Amino acid sequence: MDFLALVLLLILDASASWARMFVALGISILISIVIGVYAAISPRAEKLILPVVDVLQTIPILAFFPFALYIFVVFLPGYIGINAAVVFLIITSMVWNIILGVYESIRTLPKEFLEVSDLYHFDRIERLRKIYIPAALPRIVEQSILSWSIGLFYLVTSEIFSVGISQDRVGYGIGVAFASLAYQGALPYLTGIVVFICFVVATRFLFFRPLENYSTRYMRQQAKVQPTAQGYERAVLNWVSRKIPKAPVILSANRIVRGRKHVSHISASADRPNLRPLYYALLAIVAVAVLYLFASNPSLLGYEAEVLPALAASFARVWFAFLFMILISVPVCVYLIFSSKQGSKYMLLFQVIASIPATILLPAIAVTLKSGELVAFVVFLLSGVWYIIFSIMASTRTLPSSIFEVQKIFGVKGRNAWKNIYIKAIIPGLITGAITGIAAEWNASIVAEYFTTSGVTGTTNVVSSVGIGIGKLLDLSLAPGGQGLGLMIIALLNLVVMILLINTFVWKRFYRQISKVYGG
Amino acid sequence: MEVDPMNIISLEKVSFRFENSKLEIIDNVSFEAKKGEFVSIIGPSGCGKSTLLRIIAGLITPSSGRVFFGGREIIEPNRKLSFVFQDFALLPWLTNIENVKIGLSRSDASDEAKDKKASELLERFGLGGFEEYYPNALSGGMKQRVGIARAIASDPEVLLMDEPFSSLDELTATSLRSDIIYMLENKNISVNSVVMVTHNVEEAVELSDKVIVLSDKPSHVKSILKIRGGRPRDKRSKQFAEYMDEIYAVLAKD
Repeated sequence: MDFLALVLLLILDASASWARMFVALGISILISIVIGVYAAISPRAEKLILPVVDVLQTIPILAFFPFALYIFVVFLPGYIGINAAVVFLIITSMVWNIILGVYESIRTLPKEFLEVSDLYHFDRIERLRKIYIPAALPRIVEQSILSWSIGLFYLVTSEIFSVGISQDRVGYGIGVAFASLAYQGALPYLTGIVVFICFVVATRFLFFRPLENYSTRYMRQQAKVQPTAQGYERAVLNWVSRKIPKAPVILSANRIVRGRKHVSHISASADRPNLRPLYYALLAIVAVAVLYLFASNPSLLGYEAEVLPALAASFARVWFAFLFMILISVPVCVYLIFSSKQGSKYMLLFQVIASIPATILLPAIAVTLKSGELVAFVVFLLSGVWYIIFSIMASTRTLPSSIFEVQKIFGVKGRNAWKNIYIKAIIPGLITGAITGIAAEWNASIVAEYFTTSGVTGTTNVVSSVGIGIGKLLDLSLAPGGQGLGLMIIALLNLVVMILLINTFVWKRFYRQISKVYGG
Repeated sequence: MEVDPMNIISLEKVSFRFENSKLEIIDNVSFEAKKGEFVSIIGPSGCGKSTLLRIIAGLITPSSGRVFFGGREIIEPNRKLSFVFQDFALLPWLTNIENVKIGLSRSDASDEAKDKKASELLERFGLGGFEEYYPNALSGGMKQRVGIARAIASDPEVLLMDEPFSSLDELTATSLRSDIIYMLENKNISVNSVVMVTHNVEEAVELSDKVIVLSDKPSHVKSILKIRGGRPRDKRSKQFAEYMDEIYAVLAKD
């Protein structure tokens, strides 16, 4: 039966994609533990690692994918090369926040734990096994869930992309499947989405949920709001968690949580070394490189004339969508934090929805909305809004419960509550989320602004396109008959410089101002 | 039912257990706080003292039983009952004066009037000049002074205090204790009854007119002790030691 064959094929595709995801997550966690622990225990490493991670986190790495693909395919044999490129790209999307998570949980570890390990003469491996890893595990799992959603976006997009521009396809993959499903009508397409969602949900509940329970098992009594599974779900979870071996518990995470300041992101960044010199050095290097490029090759000025208007157009799109994200996420978060008793259940739902990359919805969005501008707006919105919501929720999760009691005892309501409690409680998370959310938008630009299915049908078929934009420009520069590598590199440079400038002169300033109040 | 007009707060067979949990936390607790009285609730840690105080405040609904304030049942927080928190619970993003003004949220007064009242209160608690500082810049004792100023800003009749001095050093705690007693005994200040949760027996004997001794989980009232004599009390007196021994004896008894 055709339908059955389609479903089986989709399951095969999804399994291949998920295999790439698990490989990427495993490598990401290993890298994170090594780098995160190193940054946390060595002040010298900290000075180097944190600024670098900070920068890499906000650069739209997806825009570099064509470049990475090119490199990997040149150096590794076809099939391996392209898979390595996809896995590499997923890692670059997953690893940064896990590194920061590891770093922060070890930095906020009470000194006594380290004194205990000195007292009992733990060697390095024992320290890692008995102190650092168990202490960092809750954050590793928490950040892995976020990374997984981000990674799915990269996975699908890079798989679709690889179909578009390379001779060597990844073979099986859910992204590849979607690229062709878009052409086979509503039923196959919807079937694809259903299979994808099943995989997402199964991963959340059968893989991350047990891990979550396992990693936070020793803070359970302390938890304010406990996500409780019920009925069938509970039964499944119990079954799964029994399969997970129990390890000795040596830490009381209560103390970790209590030791952490309530606005963990901000206070951690306040502790960090001053990033300015590094930023300026980086800017200087980029500036010199750019000047040299332009001086040695006057034709680049022509590229620049193409790039700048495109960048300006995309900038307007990205920030317009960002305003909408704030309009949506602020009331949603305030409701979840301050009014809803079901907050944790909504969060679970959000995590599942957020895991569905805007990219797989793109064919449907493109067909329904028709206008290239609208498509770009919706894709930008969908790819960035979750970062803001999750960041706000994460930063307010550690608010002491007495703040909610203060609100009730003194009857703080309406405008007074918005002004004095809600807005101010979410600002630190909002700013962290804004930085990563906007980075996600830029990442999405290469599919949001221009979307074709050329690789599938053999003919270039533009499904959706804006008039002018940096994402479109990047796509076109690599298409057959495009202006090639030179234009692409100039476009990437412009993008990165702009993002670094905004980070330095807008966001870091905000950070400094609020960390004065929240950090001390 | 009959309500003694002298009872400001009265608890009637209050029990509490968490939803979906069989474990009783508070079991059938009844007592009163009269006008002018300082009542302490003492018991082993984790016995549900703080939960009981939050039930009185209207923050938590009891599973059964009722709490009355001046004859009316308490079902939600009320401007006449105010609360002092163990961890101060100042909002870190508001300045001290803004934190005190949070205590005036239910008032219809103009913003200028609230500012004036809040700065008078800070002045009275020795925090003049710290209005525009953030709580993070203050010591624990100063933070708790802001917390108390916020609590009495709305002229409450009852002050509910959850281990208010346990995270302060002894010297600071001593001076804040006398501030509280001053407020209770001064007729010009609205507070005319205090209910305090503590695990410090000496503190309970020093301040209270009545000590409610609770058992371990599920908490029930083991004993209600009346402490006689005016304040300040001599901690080295024989009578003081006898009261303390009595409370220790009740706590130790199974």
